[in-house]
Amino acid sequence: MESHERAAAVGDGVLDFSRLGLNTLSVDSITDRRKRDTKQLYLNYNRLGSLPSSVTLFFNLEFLDISNNGLSFICEDIMRLTKLKTLIAKNNRLDEFSLPKEFGSLQLEVLNFSGNRFEEIPLQCTKLLRLQSLSLGGNRLKSIPAEIENLTSLEMLYLGGNLISAIPPEVANLPYLTYLVLCDNRIQSVPPQLTRLHSLRSLSLHNNLLTYLPREILSLVHLQELSLRGNPLVVRFVKEMTYDPPSLLELAGRTVKSRNLLYSPFDLPANLVRYLDLASKCPNPKCAGELCLMITFECLIMGCNGCAAFWLNTNQMNKTWFWLSTQERVLIHQAPVFLL
Amino acid sequence: MEQTEVVKPETLDDLIKILHSIFESDCINVEEVQNLMESYESNPQEWMKYAKFDQYRYTRNLVDKGNGKFNLMVLCWGEGHGSSIHDHTESHCFMKLLQGQLKETLFEWPESKSHGDMVQKSQRILQENKVAYINDSIGLHRVENVSHTECAVSLHLYSPPFETCQTFDQRTGHKNSVKMTFWSKYGERTPFETTVSQENN
Repeated sequence: MESHERAAAVGDGVLDFSRLGLNTLSVDSITDRRKRDTKQLYLNYNRLGSLPSSVTLFFNLEFLDISNNGLSFICEDIMRLTKLKTLIAKNNRLDEFSLPKEFGSLQLEVLNFSGNRFEEIPLQCTKLLRLQSLSLGGNRLKSIPAEIENLTSLEMLYLGGNLISAIPPEVANLPYLTYLVLCDNRIQSVPPQLTRLHSLRSLSLHNNLLTYLPREILSLVHLQELSLRGNPLVVRFVKEMTYDPPSLLELAGRTVKSRNLLYSPFDLPANLVRYLDLASKCPNPKCAGELCLMITFECLIMGCNGCAAFWLNTNQMNKTWFWLSTQERVLIHQAPVFLL
Repeated sequence: MEQTEVVKPETLDDLIKILHSIFESDCINVEEVQNLMESYESNPQEWMKYAKFDQYRYTRNLVDKGNGKFNLMVLCWGEGHGSSIHDHTESHCFMKLLQGQLKETLFEWPESKSHGDMVQKSQRILQENKVAYINDSIGLHRVENVSHTECAVSLHLYSPPFETCQTFDQRTGHKNSVKMTFWSKYGERTPFETTVSQENN
């Protein structure tokens, strides 16, 4: 049976040739009008082996899905699809040598190469200046190239399920990045520059090798989703305090608290009174308990008898409170902090 | 005891009808519901309208309110999306895979005094069309789509229906009450007041 007879044309401009066991794509019996009007072409779950050159006859194509075909390379023909915006090529046998040299000149906005054999992000991919969404999940990537910063339109970067051991600070130069997925890798540290990703809404870091987080990560104010589970997050006890000495305010606060000095609002400067007030009521909205100083370790850590929570007060007046596990000891300034 | 007929629901609507009649009674036979849900063969054409995905996290899409006896909903999990460890507010929870696979990890309830890592009981991968069951006496669980290439869609039945549950921090056992919201109801997107995700972990 001719493939087009079985294909369900699900709507205007959409041709669904998926799951037909095709070895080739014969388009002889497709009208010229159809070839011109087709904007979306599904060729996933076939046995194409390589991108059929007949695809180029759909010259207005904007969306192409060639997933699950055992493709080991994508030939130059794809360059003829000048209007292509979305390319989905999941679960094939592609690697960084599989793409045509000029691939970077395509006007792609969405590219999905998940489930392939990439060991590196090909340089051609870093030239796709219109790219908004890039997925290379489930490959064999060992690193992220600094050239990733060239993808200035990028909003979504999915690199979960690879062998990545470090995040280059250049990732922070992607101004529109809202979704960054790095779960299931071998990442040992997070560069503090990531704090510049002001648009970041979701950051996935679960199942990595993180032992600590830089405090800067907490200034990602738009962050609504953060996954950290499955990391050997341990508190490191750093002895040197050379880089960021405590402020006078902090020192004064600690002195008052650790010596249990009684004071009235008139005894102390107003900002110190405010600072100490922050540390009197438990920040846990479910608990109205009184805080007491539990451990000093040279920082202001407060414990609450009410909810058995320990809170670290950073040395900012904006009072960012972080709940700490009782088993963890913390040192300020290099303090690993943990979000509940 | 009456012999209940074994009815195989041919469509999702069929399944819903049969669920309505089963849940008329106040006594739930867990096996019966599990077998019933398992015997429905997932047909994407029937549930596609409820399967609305969010880029950032899994979504809950209400299908049927079960006359107040149960909530039936479709959950959509993008690549890598997972839930927190949570309880089920003293209700029955049935979960059927409509598409893709989900990993379920069971945990013991944390001791009230201890603050250490939560104890993992078991882990399994649920295949398409299979149905898992859990309630608070069995334990707590985390559900995840661990695939980096495929989405997953699951059908959940909760009886009695509930709107809040508790989430747990795996490292410490600390718990947090969370209000659960719907991404869509009856196939229509229902934007809720934007709340920060309460499932960070």
